[in-house]
Amino acid sequence: MPHQCIECGRTFPDGSKEMLSGCPDCGGNKFQFKPRGTAEPEPDAEPSADPAQPASSAGSEPTAGSEPPPDFDSRSGPETSSPGPAESPDPTGGSDPADRGPEAAESSDAAEPDTTDPVDGDAERIDDGESEDSAQASARSDVVSPDELDRAAREAGTSETGTSEAASESTEPPASQPGVDELRDELNEQFESIRIVSPGQYELNLMELYDRQEYIISLQEDGRYVIEMPDAWGVTDE
Amino acid sequence: MGLLTSLKDSISRVTDGLFAADEPKRIGIYGPPNAGKTTLANRIARDWTGDAVGPESHIPHETRRARRKENVEIERNGRKVTIDIVDTPGVTTKVDYKEFLDHDMDKEDAVRRSREATEGVAEAMHWLREDVDGVIYVLDSTTDPFTQVNTMLIGIIESQDLPALILANKTDLADSDVQQIANAFPQHETIPLSALEGENMDEVYTKIAEYFG
Repeated sequence: MPHQCIECGRTFPDGSKEMLSGCPDCGGNKFQFKPRGTAEPEPDAEPSADPAQPASSAGSEPTAGSEPPPDFDSRSGPETSSPGPAESPDPTGGSDPADRGPEAAESSDAAEPDTTDPVDGDAERIDDGESEDSAQASARSDVVSPDELDRAAREAGTSETGTSEAASESTEPPASQPGVDELRDELNEQFESIRIVSPGQYELNLMELYDRQEYIISLQEDGRYVIEMPDAWGVTDE
Repeated sequence: MGLLTSLKDSISRVTDGLFAADEPKRIGIYGPPNAGKTTLANRIARDWTGDAVGPESHIPHETRRARRKENVEIERNGRKVTIDIVDTPGVTTKVDYKEFLDHDMDKEDAVRRSREATEGVAEAMHWLREDVDGVIYVLDSTTDPFTQVNTMLIGIIESQDLPALILANKTDLADSDVQQIANAFPQHETIPLSALEGENMDEVYTKIAEYFG
């Protein structure tokens, strides 16, 4: 539930079109962006995925790749086939376990819930919207500050040390690193209109900004933003 | 009854047409940051109305909100052209507060300026989609015009069939290269000028009247 109406608190899934014409409940046009990690009451699935990234010592960048690994692996399978020599023949759902082939048995023993939870999360996302939304979600997830990631990592570390170890092991193979870079490039190309790289640093997708009917009139570093609704201009939908 | 209705319709069509022709065209001044858009907008506004549009600065992203000067009447060859000038924030694909730190700005101010500049770009792109009838595209003739932003914006303007006038600004500087601009966009006429010094403004006004009149 990444978007929350700050007037009435109603939440919307990522990519939801409902909010484009204002909150259906209260008509508010201010929404808060809540990354999945902070919004979900039971952060089982997220911390188990998130700590994997800080542990891989690649900073906050791969977070983009951390959220929808099965989705993206399967999509970019043919492209990433070169870095992973023997593991690519299975481009569909199997590519994720294949990446971790050598340690698959070990990690699945240690972290059975760990392997199932992300799948649940992914399935939920697919229900929410089209495939594009997962890319948007990943791009937006970059907004999560390193502090929040660290906190999530610490929580996960204290509650289930076994799974976090397994997760860090499973992402260790450097063979998958080029794939992550490619994925990141791909996501950078796909990011929505404005990407907050860090406070005060922005990347803008001009075509996206031009194409969208509503426009962002105010940004805040915590991921909040205000958009002006097309209805407010008296313009009907095309 | 039907006759009356159709008569009423045709009268209102004619009057609508008359008003539409009278309404000033809204001309957006677009271009990358620090090309001299506000200097040009001020020059035009001062020459024809006596007022300025907004503050100019050598620090990029001084204009972070679109500013409009309405009913600017330009007289050319006995003909009057009335336009609304919209001075827009410089369009770019990256805004980084660090570039402002060199201009004696503390980090907090630089971050805020950066955020406002980003909002400004969003606004400028929105105006381009919704609210302009023509574009004056201002380029700094001392810099390379072959950039992603210029190519994309000119492409959008062409796809919208908007009349566009390309101005090669800063001809008062020694390293100005107008030909480079003309080569970059051969499908458009390029007019050299120095908005700061007021050089070649006569030709600029003639072209404005020709393109947007």
